[in-house]
Amino acid sequence: LKEKWLAQNTVYKYSIPVDIASAFSSPTHGRPGAPVRPVALLPGSLPLPGAQAAWKAAHAVQLHPGLWLGHQLGRLADHTVPTGFAALDAELPGGGWPCRGLTEFLLPQLGLGEIRLLAPGLVATQQAGRLVMLFDPPAELSAPALAQLGLDVPELLLIQTRAPGLASSASANHQNSLWALEQALKSGHVGAVLAWLPPLLRTEHLRRLQLAAQAHDGPAFVLRPWCGQEAGIHTHPTPAPLRLGLRPVGARAMADPGAAPFPSAPGAEQLSLHLLKRRGPPRLQPLVLKLPSVLAPTHARAPGPAMDGEALPALRPATFVNLA
Amino acid sequence: MLWIAIHLPLLSLESWAATLPFALQAPLALMNAQRVLSVNAAAQALGVRPGLKRATALALAPDLLLGRIDEARDAQALLRVAHAALAFTPMVSIGPHPAHTVLLEVQSSLRCFGGEAALLQRLRAAVTRPPLHRLHIASAPTPQGAALLAHWASRGCADGPVPDAPADIETLDWHGASPGRWRQRLDAAPLALLAAAAGHEAALQGMGLHTLGALRRLPRAGLARRFGEALLDEIDRILGVCPDPRLPLALPEVFSAQLELWTRADTTDQILPAAAVLLEQLVAWARARQGRVGRFALSLRHEGRRTRGDLAREAPCATELAISLTQPSSDMAHLHALLREHLSRLQLPAPTLELRLHCADWVASAPPNESLFPTPRSESEGLVHLIERLQARLGPGQVRRLVAAADHRPECASRSLPAQAALGRAEAAIGRGALHGAPTAPRPVWLLNPPQALREHRHRPWLDGQPLQLLCGPERIETGWWDGLPAERDYFIARQGSGALVWVYRLRHARIPEGVAGEAAPGWFLQGRFG
Repeated sequence: LKEKWLAQNTVYKYSIPVDIASAFSSPTHGRPGAPVRPVALLPGSLPLPGAQAAWKAAHAVQLHPGLWLGHQLGRLADHTVPTGFAALDAELPGGGWPCRGLTEFLLPQLGLGEIRLLAPGLVATQQAGRLVMLFDPPAELSAPALAQLGLDVPELLLIQTRAPGLASSASANHQNSLWALEQALKSGHVGAVLAWLPPLLRTEHLRRLQLAAQAHDGPAFVLRPWCGQEAGIHTHPTPAPLRLGLRPVGARAMADPGAAPFPSAPGAEQLSLHLLKRRGPPRLQPLVLKLPSVLAPTHARAPGPAMDGEALPALRPATFVNLA
Repeated sequence: MLWIAIHLPLLSLESWAATLPFALQAPLALMNAQRVLSVNAAAQALGVRPGLKRATALALAPDLLLGRIDEARDAQALLRVAHAALAFTPMVSIGPHPAHTVLLEVQSSLRCFGGEAALLQRLRAAVTRPPLHRLHIASAPTPQGAALLAHWASRGCADGPVPDAPADIETLDWHGASPGRWRQRLDAAPLALLAAAAGHEAALQGMGLHTLGALRRLPRAGLARRFGEALLDEIDRILGVCPDPRLPLALPEVFSAQLELWTRADTTDQILPAAAVLLEQLVAWARARQGRVGRFALSLRHEGRRTRGDLAREAPCATELAISLTQPSSDMAHLHALLREHLSRLQLPAPTLELRLHCADWVASAPPNESLFPTPRSESEGLVHLIERLQARLGPGQVRRLVAAADHRPECASRSLPAQAALGRAEAAIGRGALHGAPTAPRPVWLLNPPQALREHRHRPWLDGQPLQLLCGPERIETGWWDGLPAERDYFIARQGSGALVWVYRLRHARIPEGVAGEAAPGWFLQGRFG
């Protein structure tokens, strides 16, 4: 059984034959065809062909940092930035957001909790004394809200590349967006980049950004829409080494509009992450993260006579006397 | 005294070719009064030689590009070389004869630069920045002697095959500081190189005189009687017998240079190479002044337009393109990138004929120390350059910073301002101070401006056809009665059908703010989304 399991699960992401892998290992630890002494290498394993394959596999991943087995998470040679969520760190290769590479997010709508998800990484970048640049935020940003997430607001830089008066045609706008992002990535002076990319982007453009991101010593997040014309985008290949799809944890169907106005809200502070692409085994189940709460206990509905179940109709304008 | 002479035999051709808006593969020839003056390698390969008539040259190479000689352009290009040479010694002068020669006195600088060989190597690297010039360098104890040797090296080069590799040119150059050797060398120099011998070639030839040495051995009185004092005087200055004082080059306080384009430029892309030539001269000037450019202006003189029905041309107009730098810089690559981005945004009202670059705003400061490893200082400088590049292409208002304001109304609590590349500390402190007094209640990251009116059905706000589920609230904000934008609202955190959290408010008094489109007296508004 063990032999069968190993044979099935030893998958090489890079096509280096096992013979080469064993040829690289030190001579005392065996050569192809030579009798293997597995006792010193894999304690408890049996001197069977299956154990030999497992030993070879264990050594193959030591050949190069870019090499990993199919059932392992990839190891990144460059450092990563911790995401601030232990459950997510455990699922990402290298234990955090990758540096020197794009991280692609697919968002079905604005305001899912994406900033709360990314904020710990951005805060860590700012605390290291480096700049955070936001490219084309799709709506106005609120300074107090960002400060509440721990960001140093005056040190954020917003770049608007898609202003209506700037260029007439949409393709020129695309070019400006991509040019500005590429400049920032290539400069090597920016700590973290967060970019809302134009919709319907060609893969070549994204690949070019990924190449530029390899010179960028920090996380580079690109956010793309995941609805409408781009609903099927998650099936398209991406040059980014990490791709996550974000979805809110669905609310219960509210069948009864007349029910209590402040029901308990399971899943309201949670975000469901689909790890669509990573250097490692595919994860089919979405990862559900608990985000920092906005429903602070002091502001959550406190039971009391003023805020009872009947409080909401009492707030209707008709109950107030407008003196103005 | 050790003088170095730099002679640029093809200066006219090269300074013209650098302004052309296309690659240099095309055959080029520079004309002077219907005769070919100099040609590039591509034209030479087609058989075009200096001295040919215009028609002959065009018959040999039909796609030959012909340029006109321009004294002003040559003088500016020579001045750039002289400015670059000022990095090595304050005593730089431009000799009247031979033409296109820069003279440097480097005796006092030798120790600083580690000897003559090292200095020559660095000088060659400093002068042969683009636009590339072919140059011949010679050194001798007298300025006129060095100039003569350099000129002679160019002459030998021009007669023979054109050397392409720098190594070939190197062997033709000649350097000698020991008195015996350079006098021997000069004795073999042909008389045609002397300025005072012009006009006497036939007489000298008839007397069997070909070299400087042969002339030097003749009695001086007879030579003076036959050829004038000027020849004797020149020989004495060459050999160092009589003094040869030179005026050092004086740097102008304000840089100004102009360049006539070879052809009318209809697009800014065609202007860029010529503008880069001017910029290169500006950078050489700034470096020689040990200063950095804070602001410069490129003015484009346009062709006057001929209006329909009116034969008279309008007065030629000019476009002024002023480029200010956040941090003064003398980095050619950075200035060039800025100029390119500014030019790419420019719309030319008419074809351009002439460029003029002007710089009066510069700061004198030592160049920054180069560092081996990245430092915080170099990083901040790189950032400033990046922001300037982005502003140059996207517009100055497109790079913004968020500034918090102490206001309870969410739409007034944060503003975005155009970012100065280096944020003022006071401004940042005010922004941070405003955040200290900010409400501790949760605020959404995304704000909708203006707020979106929501439909109300059975006392509940509806968004996208689904009822919102109120989770938290109300938080009452009632302020702003003093500035005409009063807010009297009760805010709730609600949950959309999809599960995302939104921030909605209900007007306490059904007064609809201006600019809000929606049904009459809706009462409920969506103002934020929790990102």
